[in-house]
Amino acid sequence: MTDIDPITLSTVWHSFQTLVREMRHMVTRTSQSYLMSQLKDVSVGLWLADGSTVAMPQGLLCQFMGTKFAIQAVKEQFGDDLHPGDVILTNDPYKGMTVHLPDWGFIRPIFFEGELLFFTLVRGHQQDTGGSFPGGYFPNSIDIHAEGLCIPPTKVFENDKERTDVMKLIWNNVRWPEAVRVDNYAMVATTRFAEKRVHEVLRRYGKETVMACIKEMLDRSERAVRAEISAIPDGTYSGQAATDDDGTILDEPVWVRVDITVKGDAITVDFSRSDAQRKGFVNCPFAASYAIAVGSMMLLFDPALADYHNEGSLRPITVITPPGSVVHPLYPATVGAAPVNVGHQIATSVHDALAKARPNRAMAAWGKRRGDYVSSIDPRSGRPYVRTTFDYDGSAGAVTGHDGPTGPLSIGSLATVMRSNAEEMEIRFPWRLLKWEAATDLMGAGRWRGGGGIEWRATNEGSDGRMATGSSDGDMTPGDGIQGGYPSPFSRTFVLRDGKPIRVKPHRMVEIKTGDTVVKISGGGGGVGNPTDRSPELVALDVKNEMVSVDSARKVYGVAVDPVSFAVNETETKRLRAQPPGAWEVSIDEQKLTVEVIPAHSH
Amino acid sequence: MKQLTIDVGGTFTDCLVLEESGQLQRFKASTTPDDPTQGFFASVGKAAAHFGQSLNGFLSEVEQIVHGTTLGTNTLITERGAKVGMITTKGFRDSVEMRRGIKNLHGSMFDVFIPPYKPLVPRYLRLGVEERTLYTGELLTPLDEQELRTAAKKLLDDGCTAIAVCFLHSYANGANELQAKRLVQQMAPQVYVTASHEILPVWREFERFSTAVVSAYIGPVLTRYASRLQSGLADHGFHGRLLMMLANGLVQVVDECVDRAVYLLNSGPAAAPSAATYLGALHGRTNLLSVDMGGTSFDVCVIKDGEIPTTSESWVGEHRVAIKMVDVPTVGAGGGSLAWVDSLGLLRVGPQSAGADPGPAAYGKGEQAAVTDADLVLGYIPADYFLGGDIKLDAARAHQAVAAVGAKLKMSVENSAQAIYTTINTVMANLVTEVCTKQGHDVRDFTLVAGGGAGGIHAASIARQLSIPMVIVPRVAALMSAFGMFAKDLGFEYARSCFRSQDRLDFAEVTGLYADMRAQALRDFARIGFTESQLSFQPTVEMRYADQFHEVEIDMPSETLNAQSMQELLRIFHARYEKMYTYSMNWRPVEFLTFRLKVTAPRRPVQMAASQSTSAGVETARRGSRSCLFQGGSLRVDTPVYDWDRMEPGHKVAGPALVDDKTTTVLVPPGFNCEVDPYRNLVLLAT
Repeated sequence: MTDIDPITLSTVWHSFQTLVREMRHMVTRTSQSYLMSQLKDVSVGLWLADGSTVAMPQGLLCQFMGTKFAIQAVKEQFGDDLHPGDVILTNDPYKGMTVHLPDWGFIRPIFFEGELLFFTLVRGHQQDTGGSFPGGYFPNSIDIHAEGLCIPPTKVFENDKERTDVMKLIWNNVRWPEAVRVDNYAMVATTRFAEKRVHEVLRRYGKETVMACIKEMLDRSERAVRAEISAIPDGTYSGQAATDDDGTILDEPVWVRVDITVKGDAITVDFSRSDAQRKGFVNCPFAASYAIAVGSMMLLFDPALADYHNEGSLRPITVITPPGSVVHPLYPATVGAAPVNVGHQIATSVHDALAKARPNRAMAAWGKRRGDYVSSIDPRSGRPYVRTTFDYDGSAGAVTGHDGPTGPLSIGSLATVMRSNAEEMEIRFPWRLLKWEAATDLMGAGRWRGGGGIEWRATNEGSDGRMATGSSDGDMTPGDGIQGGYPSPFSRTFVLRDGKPIRVKPHRMVEIKTGDTVVKISGGGGGVGNPTDRSPELVALDVKNEMVSVDSARKVYGVAVDPVSFAVNETETKRLRAQPPGAWEVSIDEQKLTVEVIPAHSH
Repeated sequence: MKQLTIDVGGTFTDCLVLEESGQLQRFKASTTPDDPTQGFFASVGKAAAHFGQSLNGFLSEVEQIVHGTTLGTNTLITERGAKVGMITTKGFRDSVEMRRGIKNLHGSMFDVFIPPYKPLVPRYLRLGVEERTLYTGELLTPLDEQELRTAAKKLLDDGCTAIAVCFLHSYANGANELQAKRLVQQMAPQVYVTASHEILPVWREFERFSTAVVSAYIGPVLTRYASRLQSGLADHGFHGRLLMMLANGLVQVVDECVDRAVYLLNSGPAAAPSAATYLGALHGRTNLLSVDMGGTSFDVCVIKDGEIPTTSESWVGEHRVAIKMVDVPTVGAGGGSLAWVDSLGLLRVGPQSAGADPGPAAYGKGEQAAVTDADLVLGYIPADYFLGGDIKLDAARAHQAVAAVGAKLKMSVENSAQAIYTTINTVMANLVTEVCTKQGHDVRDFTLVAGGGAGGIHAASIARQLSIPMVIVPRVAALMSAFGMFAKDLGFEYARSCFRSQDRLDFAEVTGLYADMRAQALRDFARIGFTESQLSFQPTVEMRYADQFHEVEIDMPSETLNAQSMQELLRIFHARYEKMYTYSMNWRPVEFLTFRLKVTAPRRPVQMAASQSTSAGVETARRGSRSCLFQGGSLRVDTPVYDWDRMEPGHKVAGPALVDDKTTTVLVPPGFNCEVDPYRNLVLLAT
């Protein structure tokens, strides 16, 4: 080991963390895509020339944790033909080792004194990427080419000059080319900023010192993570999670199954028992599956390490994804819904297994995506629009020691994506919101309960259009509760037309007429621990807050709460809790659109 | 007549007196958290005693007091505010709890084992009522008065002493909110009622509602404090003007503040940057980094071309506060920051602090090493003259605590102390760099103005890390916020959200918005005795490229818009954008969002007395020497120590040297020279 003084080491380490924070700030400030800027569907980072992660920023796991494979792809494609000022664009899940086509990544090699030392990346969800329908997440494409423009690693800037003919070719094949152009410039400028910052660090401390520090950073993270793993009893811990269907063969769940084997200070994450590659678009490409799996593993480790993970943290982890499976599809399989459908299940199955490996650090499943893409014309401007948002998704799962918060969403992103504002939605889109609130009882009960499920209603005040529910899940396969906690409840989407509810399942496309109201009822997070072990005072507070009904408090939690004073009837509670707990489930009445707690499996 | 500024901080209440002659006098008293007026009058009492006067006699000769207080911030952070109820548009009562989905505001995405966010107003006190306004300002559904009364009654019965009325799109039309507010006030005249659009008439309901709830939460406490202070001052013969320091960098008479209590957050720290601009100007510097390092936190403000930046993106604790505030980002770094070794074997310093109790090990109670302990081991601070001798430091204890950290790092106590010193400097330097970058500036173009009790020890070393050539340590370093309050203008800020794309902007409509804001300003200022000719008006507008989500605030050439001024406005916007983000897109149409008008009544400029240079040598101010360790050296260096009180303008010392004062110590490290300027500030220049 090179002898580095601890202060330089810590300074260099923190400089790179600061750098990625600054990159994220810059790209979200300057982009115009709703997903990138407001909902933070964007990732940045810094890697060594060999693809090792130097600094893990905030972002979507599937977009950046597997970037070493994208960098290898870039190097294979260009060999020695990489130069200062080059920027390479790719969104190809196979040739560019990415996620799905809407996530475009701009990769810049960073040279210093003629030597390639680093790569930086900005990857974000574009407003459009061509294909049959605007926005993405459309099932039933015949192959990856039908899903949209598929860009292998391609030099789009040379010597920091745009290759205008190439970019024009690309923009000519997307809808809203001017908007995509704005975002592309924001992304490229952010990689240029990263290069400038990296150069400053190299000049200040010298190349030898910086590279020695990075080696030491990686080694120290590796040692710390190995020590954490050693504390887990050797053995194999299994987990699983399913998505409703593959979008082509409907109503048939697709399973992700994982066996996590801990042996000494190393871990193997084996997805071999997962379902085979599907005809439908839920398949999750290898680099993204790897990314979500290892990113989800990070929750296992001491939170004090959380800001300090890097390639060293990944070294003790081996991920096995059999080629030809839903977690490692082969060209030309479609992958449009990869992040939400199979992607979230990779995360949830890993958390499910980890809760068994470290029972005192358990996390239940989160509410599932309730996404859609609505496309139509905005009569106020006469311009076409696509609306998509995370607003109506359910909330976080409980963890050991804490209820899940109401609000945070998207376990695949570890809650880095955000909700918007009703006022912003109404200004931007011809929809009027009627309701956007947590719904009583719409979460997994437990000693620590899940965050609230969401009821969202909005009326179409624009033209007739389409709603595609490609990014929805959870009508049939809600995520598990842990250690006796209840699962995340089922979710439902309806179109209210002339007052009558029409149910819309995931992966469908339906017509939306002027005056239709869309109703989304999204299950909240799952619970951890038996609900009958929850403190009666907390149950009473939940009742007072209308998060839990008097009925559910009694049936599920075994707590008798006075509906007016919200006082706990201790005698009655003692009696209720002495009985064996019944089997209950949260159900949504499809005529009245209400949430109720009914005997399990009664429908 | 004399002018006073009084800054009630977490630990000390600072009082500065500006005499008729331009001389400044400094006084400090302990803050009295239970009733901060006691500390307030104690500090004024010290001032009166200095002038040989009774408190009443002294105060009767004071023309004006500008007052900053940490009361609002502390009430919020320590959760000691009012029981707040919220009345909102039916169907939308959870936006303040969902918090736009943020899970971990301050920590890493990989940390999920954290308690859920606890909003200031629990769900059972958030009640929806039938009413609806559209984004156009059209009233779709009138307020259901019966439902409103029922909701208000429930909240009052539950014991709420403050109620926030938060309706969708009230920025576009506040009629329903005002009607609800009136009805609640009729039912309960003693209750503190806030309407969201009166606090922040700007779109995006989460941000507006959260701000209104915060305002209601701290409102009753601040109202009570203000009335106690005003009556106390009247009882003690004060008949001058009492002005409060606001978060946005302006000052205002008390009665205009209490209804918008959220503006009293950060009321002290918001003033420090003005001290920096004032002192920088004395040396012809307008690009300044105003830093303030106290016991637990390090505040930094980046001042470019003399302009103090504001932001509407602040969080205070876990709560979103979207009013414009002076942009003073802070990080947990101060004299009390604790050193620890993490599981990666890395030395970390802060953000945990030893606080006032137990304090650094040297204070005699704590065990863990804090920055102050390292500073003591290195010889930088005097064991016998810390805070003028008020606190005796236990050097052996500090030594022991630092040695314990060193044992984990396998380093000597001296090297560990140096490591702690360098690490905390790095934490602060990184914050400075990050803040500068966000605003698109190169930190090396700036002069550091270092305040706070611990600032003088660390400033030059931070400057060296950042390649900043010049540091100013003000004579009033430890009372920088109080000093900044002298330089503040009286004022209000007005805003109107009006979302328009470039091709649909109606010049007459914009001109009308400004006329409306100007009329409101004239009414507000008339109440406190100002007329239009005494006021200055600064119109700005938030703009962005079409469909972006983040705005850039641009100065408007005038309050009336026409084709010509529009061209000028666009030119300014593209240029500003390019400067911030390295590129611009003049091929892209722009959008206009919120129009703002800042109205100020400029105050009389502060005139400080300059002193003549002395011909006497600096040795006349020598008070001894201390044995110090400096970066890279392993041997202690006998370092001369000077007494700031006895240093005269023109005095020069070369580093290494130390300058002691009863409120702070300044380190002139090797590689820096120090000179006393005509106002007795220290100017440190890298050689």
